[in-house]
Amino acid sequence: MSENRWLATGNFFTSYKAEQRIFQTHIDRLVFIGLLVLMFVWPLIFAVSNKYMLVIDSILIAIVAVYGLNLLTGFAGLISIGHAAFVGVGAYTLATFARLLGSNHVLLTHYWPLMIVLAGIVGAIIGGIVGLPSLRLKHLYLVIATLSFQMIFQWVINFSKFYDQGQSIAIGRVFWFTGKVARKQHYFLWYYVILVVVIILGFAVRNLLRSKHGRCLVAVRDNDRAADAMGMHPGFTKVYAFALAGFFAGVAGALHAYLWRGVGFESFMLHHSISYLAMAIVGGLGTLVGSIVGPVAILMLELQVESLSEFVGHYFTSIGDVATALRPLSFGLVIVLFLMFEPRGIANWWRIVRSYFKLWPFRY
Amino acid sequence: MKNKQITIMLVALSFLLILGFSTQVLAGETYKMGMSVDITGATSDIGNPYSKGAEDYVKYVNDEKLLGNDKLVLFIRDDAYKTETTKRNFEDFLDEDIVLYQNYSTGSTLALRQDFDEEKIPTITASFHAGNLENCNYLFLPIASYSSQAVGLAEYVVANHKGSNKIKVAMFLHPSAFGRGPLGDVKKAIDIGLPIELVEVVEHGKDLDNTAMLKRFQSKGVQYVISQTVQPPVATMLKGAQSLGMAASTYGEAGKITFLGCHYAGGPDLIGLAGSAAEGFYWTTSYKLMTAKGPGTDAQLALAKRYGRDDKLANSQNYTNGIMVIQVAVEAIRRVKAKSIKVNRANLFEELQAMNGYNAFYPLTTVGPVSFSKTDREGVDTLQLYVAKGGVFHELGAPFVSEYVQKLKK
Repeated sequence: MSENRWLATGNFFTSYKAEQRIFQTHIDRLVFIGLLVLMFVWPLIFAVSNKYMLVIDSILIAIVAVYGLNLLTGFAGLISIGHAAFVGVGAYTLATFARLLGSNHVLLTHYWPLMIVLAGIVGAIIGGIVGLPSLRLKHLYLVIATLSFQMIFQWVINFSKFYDQGQSIAIGRVFWFTGKVARKQHYFLWYYVILVVVIILGFAVRNLLRSKHGRCLVAVRDNDRAADAMGMHPGFTKVYAFALAGFFAGVAGALHAYLWRGVGFESFMLHHSISYLAMAIVGGLGTLVGSIVGPVAILMLELQVESLSEFVGHYFTSIGDVATALRPLSFGLVIVLFLMFEPRGIANWWRIVRSYFKLWPFRY
Repeated sequence: MKNKQITIMLVALSFLLILGFSTQVLAGETYKMGMSVDITGATSDIGNPYSKGAEDYVKYVNDEKLLGNDKLVLFIRDDAYKTETTKRNFEDFLDEDIVLYQNYSTGSTLALRQDFDEEKIPTITASFHAGNLENCNYLFLPIASYSSQAVGLAEYVVANHKGSNKIKVAMFLHPSAFGRGPLGDVKKAIDIGLPIELVEVVEHGKDLDNTAMLKRFQSKGVQYVISQTVQPPVATMLKGAQSLGMAASTYGEAGKITFLGCHYAGGPDLIGLAGSAAEGFYWTTSYKLMTAKGPGTDAQLALAKRYGRDDKLANSQNYTNGIMVIQVAVEAIRRVKAKSIKVNRANLFEELQAMNGYNAFYPLTTVGPVSFSKTDREGVDTLQLYVAKGGVFHELGAPFVSEYVQKLKK
């Protein structure tokens, strides 16, 4: 990297440390800080309806979940189609407390940051256990193992009287320094809480990838035998990747439970797992930016398709099935098109734009 | 001269102001309501006619000026049978400043109960699950609950069963809160003396063949199956029973199975799906069917015709269902207006709770009056039994009330 970190052009580094920097140039840092300020300030300037705050909060939660999935699938190369179940584990950790102690117990309403971390830890433990088959299984066989976990999770909740057979279990309103968070401030507060979580975990992922533990994930993905020969422990790395993914998913699940003020079985089904995978693929597997833009793209697409389906359903009642089929059809089409024409996801577009400005006025 | 010009201008201005105000007065108030309903999801075959019934009746109210110069606006949004989408719709409606809300699925009703109470918004739900009313004061079920329906059917089974053997019954349920809703109350009714044996409870999947289940029922001596689900799985089961020769040709036929079902399990659409296999299916609801001619049914058919709906929709009990919930809302608005008080959430809530005794509402689309009170928020308490014969559901006997559910309520 050039000595002048304001006018750096091209990709060349004079030290290993320079290559490992989070922000390659001061411009990168400034843009990032500007973006952060914007993210924190805009809700104070523009009045946004609860409906849209709910959508935005849900996107941020999906980003947290996809961070984990991208670590597992993108960086460690272990495909999981049980990620929604891991998110469910986090949410049902809170539901367990709600069932045992009551939905308005002080642990849930006052010590909610602790509960979010606890949900992440439970998610990590379950993730580690579910990851054990990865010691023996690879590729499609591992996919089936994660699918089994998804099915077991669904079965357990669906037939568990303790969890009310998947019916919604209420979670009480949380308290902030100013007292109980009223309905009007609910989405506003959770926007900031989830945003802070997204930023902290984003930095955590970025730093992890700079550490030997992060590079282990990539090494094991690329060639686990070579990684073994280099002194890494592929088995441990795979289990630890599952535990990491479980932690992120658990945190996302707890945030989901608090945001929606309840835990219901139907938010953690197989199609949600596939949605998370689609977010990671469309965003860009193995990239941090992909974990952020993927959920935004997929959830916005879902909203648009939802409106289209509703429109079709209203005006062509006799072909209601067409309206019903529109969502999975368009969803599947987007994934197929991305896999065919942009397998590196939207993150690649971002890379191209950045490269253009970085190299400007030269073409390469 | 100048003074004259100013005077003319002032007069003209005053005239314009008066005209403006009077136009506003003539335009009247606008009352907004929100309805979240499954139009494209798993139960769209029910949600679609339901939404059309509501939509048409709102148009009718405005076209016929049933609320005078006031206008009724109903926002209808598809929730595709998903709780998360329903919650989003609900938040959207609140931003629109609605005075009354109509919810749809059991799952979302249970999940949003706390929101209804916090917002103090009277809510009428298409889910007749008795459990909806627990820990929630602002919910109203338009008709008798699923529990009343299922227990009522079981009581009919007991009252009309021939033979001295123990009556063996199975329940065929939707795998959701909606399907499981009445199970607990059926078991409680058995505990307090309803003389049936609940041999098996089946939560159906998406099976296209029920042979194994039906054979199992037969081997266990099941004579009656009570369904609490939507029509397509019931149709599959009935077709299977017909092809296996298991369906009773007369009520309670020995060695055969007689099928019965709650509101969403039957109706004219079931005959469309199951054809001749639906013959002899016993079904209960609180709604009047188009086959029973009367002022209510005539009005419904006229309404459907007026707004260009096809025969299938016009004859659907779920079209009636949609009309009825708006009828109740309009009646509450009308009564609030008659008291010359503001039509808002609080006054509508009070008016709905006062809808009982001499103030009960007779919408003509149901087999009994709609009555709510502070302690009873199930609308129409009476149920009508229908039986499918010759490709049409016919009334069987007089409207009834489930005795055991009344006992359980005490």
